[in-house]
Amino acid sequence: MNIITRKLIVKELYVNRWMVAGGALSGVASILIATLGKTGFNVGALTWLTTIIATGVMLALYGIMNERKENALQFVLSLPLSISEYVRAKMLGLFAGFLIMWSISCAAALLLVFLKASVPDGIAPYVTLLCVFMLANFAVVLCGALHAQSEALNSAVIVVTNMGVSIFMFTVGPMPGIQQHMWAPVPVWNDTFWTVLFCELAVLVIALTLPFVFAARRRDFL
Amino acid sequence: MYSGINISQTDARPMYLQIMEQIRARIAAGDWPSGKELPSIRALAAALNVSVITIKRAYLDLENEGVIVTRHGKGSFVADVNGLAGELQEERLEEHLTRAVEIGQSLGLSEDDLAARLRRAQRNLGKN
Amino acid sequence: MDHKHIEMRGVRKSYRFFTLDDLSLSLEPGEVMGFVGPNGAGKSTTLKLAMGFIAPDAGEISVLGHPMPEAQAAAKRDIGYVSAEMRLLPHATLGWHMEFVKSIYPEWDGGYAATLVKRFNLRPEQNARSLSLGEHVKATLLLALARRPRLLVLDEPTTGLDPVARHEVISEFMDVLRDDSRSILFSSHNTVDVERISDRLTFIDRGRIVDSSNKEDFLDRWRRIHVKLPAGTSLPELPNVFGRVNDGQFVTLTTNQYSEGLRALIGPHVREVQRMNLEEIFVANVMYHREVRGS
Repeated sequence: MNIITRKLIVKELYVNRWMVAGGALSGVASILIATLGKTGFNVGALTWLTTIIATGVMLALYGIMNERKENALQFVLSLPLSISEYVRAKMLGLFAGFLIMWSISCAAALLLVFLKASVPDGIAPYVTLLCVFMLANFAVVLCGALHAQSEALNSAVIVVTNMGVSIFMFTVGPMPGIQQHMWAPVPVWNDTFWTVLFCELAVLVIALTLPFVFAARRRDFL
Repeated sequence: MYSGINISQTDARPMYLQIMEQIRARIAAGDWPSGKELPSIRALAAALNVSVITIKRAYLDLENEGVIVTRHGKGSFVADVNGLAGELQEERLEEHLTRAVEIGQSLGLSEDDLAARLRRAQRNLGKN
Repeated sequence: MDHKHIEMRGVRKSYRFFTLDDLSLSLEPGEVMGFVGPNGAGKSTTLKLAMGFIAPDAGEISVLGHPMPEAQAAAKRDIGYVSAEMRLLPHATLGWHMEFVKSIYPEWDGGYAATLVKRFNLRPEQNARSLSLGEHVKATLLLALARRPRLLVLDEPTTGLDPVARHEVISEFMDVLRDDSRSILFSSHNTVDVERISDRLTFIDRGRIVDSSNKEDFLDRWRRIHVKLPAGTSLPELPNVFGRVNDGQFVTLTTNQYSEGLRALIGPHVREVQRMNLEEIFVANVMYHREVRGS
């Protein structure tokens, strides 16, 4: 990775610092709310989910589309870089920002699972899968935003992937391998778990490599 | 540095002529004595905010007139001032005469009419 | 460097409603080229092609010896690009941008940058979001000039600037030309400035270059000739004369190939021969070429 890619990644993190910080704080705050009884848990869990997804969407949308809309794209493009270096730096920078927020929020969630007595440790595999799902989800949104040439297409990507969360909760949740052990006192890392995890990671990798194949090869960037 | 030289874009005369005139005036007045080195083309261009090509043209024409001398690789210098003041005046006379002819034409004067007017002016001036 | 700074040959770029066709342009080191044309003629597209932001459908582009857009990363090391629609990154200050550009370009001249901040009346602590259009233009010019790039590519660089700021900016451009290895290509609607500082002029209209030459020659060739034709007389066939306007006995001719010979040809009824400024030439040139093309 050359110096200009590195500088751009740092710039990406700097420019989005408030979103990343805000997202991480909301994630942690949601977990704290989740410690307050049954209602608190439901509310906290919901806010925690929303926060992570919303920050991801904002990072992708704002990070990519806005630079274009605000005409700051020409400033960045006038730097000594090729289009593929720009796409790479954009992707890595935004992904890094999300990763920071995501790690903090997910760590908080797992801490809640393992430290709070009222929350059964058995739910840990499900929470892990949910976390990795949201990471893969972000990668897909990012990939879409990097390729989408119009805001309409971009919005479509976001809507579809948001639906994905609900679909995840309704399909993975009820899976026998998961459902059975959710409320158990000890986490069960069975085959179902590993299969789902593997699928999520596959989607993640594909979503992260696609831009290097397509978007980076674009010859017209403006 | 050369803020005294001023190029007006609203003047009818082309920029290079204005520059030539102002340089000639300074030379004739003695402010730029013979042998003095002229600013480099690019330096003058930057100082006056005028294109390099305009300065180049002015220097070229001044050299053709013998007002300055350019030594390749060394720069441009004011040539000997001999007869320059006279040259300047000759030029001014030509300009005035041409203008008089133009105005005379627009007034519909014939050549003889114009000549008569000139003689009258000379006589008037002689009286004072 | 013996290379031309910019060389475009037979460049073609098609869009749905507009095509840039058979565009050939060259810029020598030490030269200022003024790029003039009506809105929508293709000036911005040409400059973006030079920067590698878009790729041509046909033809070759070489900037500072690098083929574009393939070698744009290398070329842009030495090019300063400013466009009136360009903006800085929204949530950062001008000072941050200066540090950012400094960290990328080792040629950054901090002292010169500080001088420009004062000269352009800017404040480094100011957030990019709060800059006016004129301040944005000055800020992006500062970021480009302080690197002392070999080539400056400028798209309407005096947009939104008051006369004082314009004067400061033009002075900085001419300072660049003290070095005969540096050059400037700029497009502008400000014909007064273009006329003043350009060495060469290139006219573009509807995607095609209609004229490109040395500025002094250009200004020398164009004239308005005022003629008074008494009743019963008429003008002979005149080459290179167009834009004839009749008002009773008074006829105004426009020519783009003036010579004493032409004046003699017209005969004794010439009242006045006027030079034209770039704005007048610009309008006459465009209208003439549109007529010739039958549009």
